[in-house]
Amino acid sequence: MHSSCRNGVMVMTVCIAEMPSYTYAVKAERLLRSRGYRCKVVRKDKNSSGGCGFLLHIYGYCLEAAEILERNAVPFKYINDISEGGA
Amino acid sequence: MINFDNAATTFPKPLSVRQAVAAAMKKYGGNAGRGGHPLAMRTSEALYSARETVASFFGAQPENTVFTMNCTYALNMAIKGIMNGGGHLIISGMEHNSSARPAAALALKNRLRLSIAEVYPEDERTIDSFRSLIREDTKAVVCTLASNVTGQILPYREIAALCREHGICFIADGAQACGIIDVKLSDGINILCTAGHKGLYGITGTGLLVTDGKYPISPIIQGGTGSSSLSLLQPDILPDSLESGTPNIIGTVSVKAGIDFVKKTGIRRIFAHEDRLCRCFMSGLDGDVRVYREKTAEYVPIVAFNVGDIPSESVAAQLAEKGFCLRAGFHCAALAHASLGTKSGTVRFAPSVFNTEQEVLRLTETIRNMKKI
Repeated sequence: MHSSCRNGVMVMTVCIAEMPSYTYAVKAERLLRSRGYRCKVVRKDKNSSGGCGFLLHIYGYCLEAAEILERNAVPFKYINDISEGGA
Repeated sequence: MINFDNAATTFPKPLSVRQAVAAAMKKYGGNAGRGGHPLAMRTSEALYSARETVASFFGAQPENTVFTMNCTYALNMAIKGIMNGGGHLIISGMEHNSSARPAAALALKNRLRLSIAEVYPEDERTIDSFRSLIREDTKAVVCTLASNVTGQILPYREIAALCREHGICFIADGAQACGIIDVKLSDGINILCTAGHKGLYGITGTGLLVTDGKYPISPIIQGGTGSSSLSLLQPDILPDSLESGTPNIIGTVSVKAGIDFVKKTGIRRIFAHEDRLCRCFMSGLDGDVRVYREKTAEYVPIVAFNVGDIPSESVAAQLAEKGFCLRAGFHCAALAHASLGTKSGTVRFAPSVFNTEQEVLRLTETIRNMKKI
């Protein structure tokens, strides 16, 4: 669950999802945790675009996490793979 | 001192609520949603946990659960936020001023057209009364679930069904019902407004707006939300769109503890106990006391009464001298008293789960003796 296959090698992926609010960040966290993802709500960096807000660090496959959130109508601004070699 | 004014605010609060408030004062000293440091995050988690508890209690989603200062704020937000672009609004003739005044204020400024639906002791007549007022441009109906004056339970599920049939937003005032009867959004309510400090046993300064999200609510207050802070535009997602400024964190913790108390005690048990006290109260009164109840109507545990020709405020004052706390006068409900024709108001007996039969018997004895003075 917390890895994906790149060039035939299973690698741990870390995704960052920018959430529209703290409430949705926690809702997403609870939802993904119930699906076996390890994740954590963190405050956005002070220099981030758009100003204050919250991110969700997700340890797992980004596309699948995004699909879970979409299926459950949990909005997010984006999900990026920030692990080494990630998109 | 014996409190029978629990329809205004319940007192005493459960021990678990008092303990939760004391613990929150020690633990949740950060500002929820406004920082990434441990104190702020811990406080944010507490707020979310309270949101989850409220949402689950009313069958809603946490993000559609908005904490407000009280029920009046919630109703103002709902009425003004839904009627933003004008249209026709129907309110019941039993509304508290928390609904009636914002509706009247907008009507006086020609910002909406207002109709008032008569409420009768017979549910069918009340439903017909609402039905007859629905027009093409009717945008919302505001209806209390139970009158704060008489305790009469309105046929809200049927009125909600009427609204759904006509694509009208149904805004419910649950101040006297929540925690006493099992209110859910699935009853057909689009926006539920209620107090946190009455039947939910939270502290004063707490209110709730819970929505199914079907009808977008324009915010009447803008400000900091801890999100998208570089934008001058108010976020358009709930709950942030309606929760500007620092929330009452201790209050939300108290509401969570209060709801947990209600769930643990059992809504039906609470209703049964308080209803039994109301019956005990009514059976202890004699013929000179007029009780404002009708056989065809159902009531939450509130009894409106008058003692002979004694003005209601005098009755309450005399009872206060004997240590009984009851609210007299017009209960911020001009429409309801106009409907009842109670020109000098009424006295309201409103027990809580903590009152006892012995206390009620002492009260009825005092009322019986009062007339001999």
